[in-house]
Amino acid sequence: MLRNVAAKTLRDLRRGFLWWSVGLAGMVALMVAVYPTVRDNPALNRFVEQYPDTLKAFIGFGGEVDYTSAAGYLGSELFSFMVPLLLLLAAIGAGARAVAGEEEAGTLELLLSCPVSRRRLVLEKLAALVVETTALGAVLVVSLWVGARAVSMQVSLAHLAAATTSAVLLALAYGAIALLLGAATGRRALTVAVVAALAVAAFLVASLAPLVSVLDVAKEVSPFYHYSASDPLRHGLSAVHALPLLALAAVAGLLAPFALERRDVGVG
Amino acid sequence: MRPIRRPPDSSVDGGRDPCHMADALVSVERLTKTYGRARGVVDLSFDVQPGEVFGFLGPNGAGKTTTIRLLLDLIRPTAGRVVAFGSDVRRSSREVRARTGYLSGDLRLYERLTPREHLRYLAALRGLPDLGDGEAIATRLELELDRPVRALSRGNRQKVGILLALFHRPELLVLDEPTAGLDPLMQQAFYALLRERVADGGTVFLSSHVLAEVQHVADRVAAIREGRLELVDTVEALRSRAFTRVEATFTGALPPGHAFDGLSGVRELERRNSTVVLALSGPADPLVKALARYEVLTLDSHEADLEDVFLDLYRSDGDAA
Repeated sequence: MLRNVAAKTLRDLRRGFLWWSVGLAGMVALMVAVYPTVRDNPALNRFVEQYPDTLKAFIGFGGEVDYTSAAGYLGSELFSFMVPLLLLLAAIGAGARAVAGEEEAGTLELLLSCPVSRRRLVLEKLAALVVETTALGAVLVVSLWVGARAVSMQVSLAHLAAATTSAVLLALAYGAIALLLGAATGRRALTVAVVAALAVAAFLVASLAPLVSVLDVAKEVSPFYHYSASDPLRHGLSAVHALPLLALAAVAGLLAPFALERRDVGVG
Repeated sequence: MRPIRRPPDSSVDGGRDPCHMADALVSVERLTKTYGRARGVVDLSFDVQPGEVFGFLGPNGAGKTTTIRLLLDLIRPTAGRVVAFGSDVRRSSREVRARTGYLSGDLRLYERLTPREHLRYLAALRGLPDLGDGEAIATRLELELDRPVRALSRGNRQKVGILLALFHRPELLVLDEPTAGLDPLMQQAFYALLRERVADGGTVFLSSHVLAEVQHVADRVAAIREGRLELVDTVEALRSRAFTRVEATFTGALPPGHAFDGLSGVRELERRNSTVVLALSGPADPLVKALARYEVLTLDSHEADLEDVFLDLYRSDGDAA
């Protein structure tokens, strides 16, 4: 685990990974366990149908709000908010720590006293971020699949994987932006705050777009819109919406090495 | 014991002898760094020759660490450049770092890793097949390799830093305040390691704020103050300029102003209240006999510290100009 910067970074993420996994799996278990009760209670679904549109806009995940179908339930209860919240927190945290955290701890200087190029260092940090986020996605898919089987949910593994992949791409995009901003500024707390604010703004734009005509035009630039727009739990992924997320992650991730390349390191 | 590879060179403006410039291991050329509120350095020029121990002196905040960080390509110059191993460190940053061992003045380690894990990680990043001299150096410094860094004292952390700078047998050692936190015995062990590295063909650039600390190992020293280079000289030449500071307090009337004029090797530095401060170089006898004519209450004498020597040098340089 000490062979290179990427492996060392993953080593450092182990403990956090364990807790994020417990959190994700626990959340999935809780939500799935409640599903049979909700499914067998038509009154609840009628009640949800009467929710104001604003509320529906926030709890929807691509398609119609519908608590009786497995896809509708998982979309509203997990994928509309909690799943992206947890994955984004993990990814933004890891992205901000990658360079800025190491710089604030002073250990970046130790690394850069070795014959490792700055670009290489940041790319290895990016690789660790991708592995960590993808692994969390795998934990999520496995928990969902096990849970869905346990309560006989009518949802395919392919669709669960599609929705999770969309969430992982979204998290990677914000993680990469955090890596970029951290590499450019060297400040971890600032990076987390700015990227979290960007994510909240994008979430609001995507959620309110159906209700506000101005935002309906702006939604195209919101990663959260592309995250849910293809209704992946019912229809799988579509390239039209997955590619913008992937592109955002790639552009931010590949700009990050240059952000560190140009500046002074360790100047508080 | 101390290897001197160059004839003493006492020119105050840097000892930049053109014959040696071509084969300097490190050339600092008109280096300037200004940033934010920090002072940085202004127009520094000096060379470090292969095989020498070069002491870089100055009070805290004078720009020593800034210079060292420029040398390592951690920060970038506003003007000028540093050439090491024949090329600009900006351009051949990786090669320079591969051949250099560095100890930061603000050493930070991975709290969860043991010194041995640090060695393994840095060996991997340096592409080494093994831990180099790591274990041997740890034994010499009496450092336990398998306790996590978070459990180590300041002195032991410093040993880890020294270990990480030296284990890969670098051609150039850049050490920022290397003896900070080490007890005197360990300082001796450290200096012995340095001498061996030099005997083995290495070159050492080390900073300190104490001349006394550097004078036993260094061949030449440079002094920096407020970001500017004040002098570059051999330790031999500096020693010859060193003086003892004598403070005499009198009970009765102070000796008249001219009382110590004309005594060989004695110069009056200042007088305040009932105390006269004198600089003494050479034998003490004439001064003792002169003092005996007055009622001396206390007599305090100590080796001039760095500040005294340099202050005195700056003063005489100013007079000469």
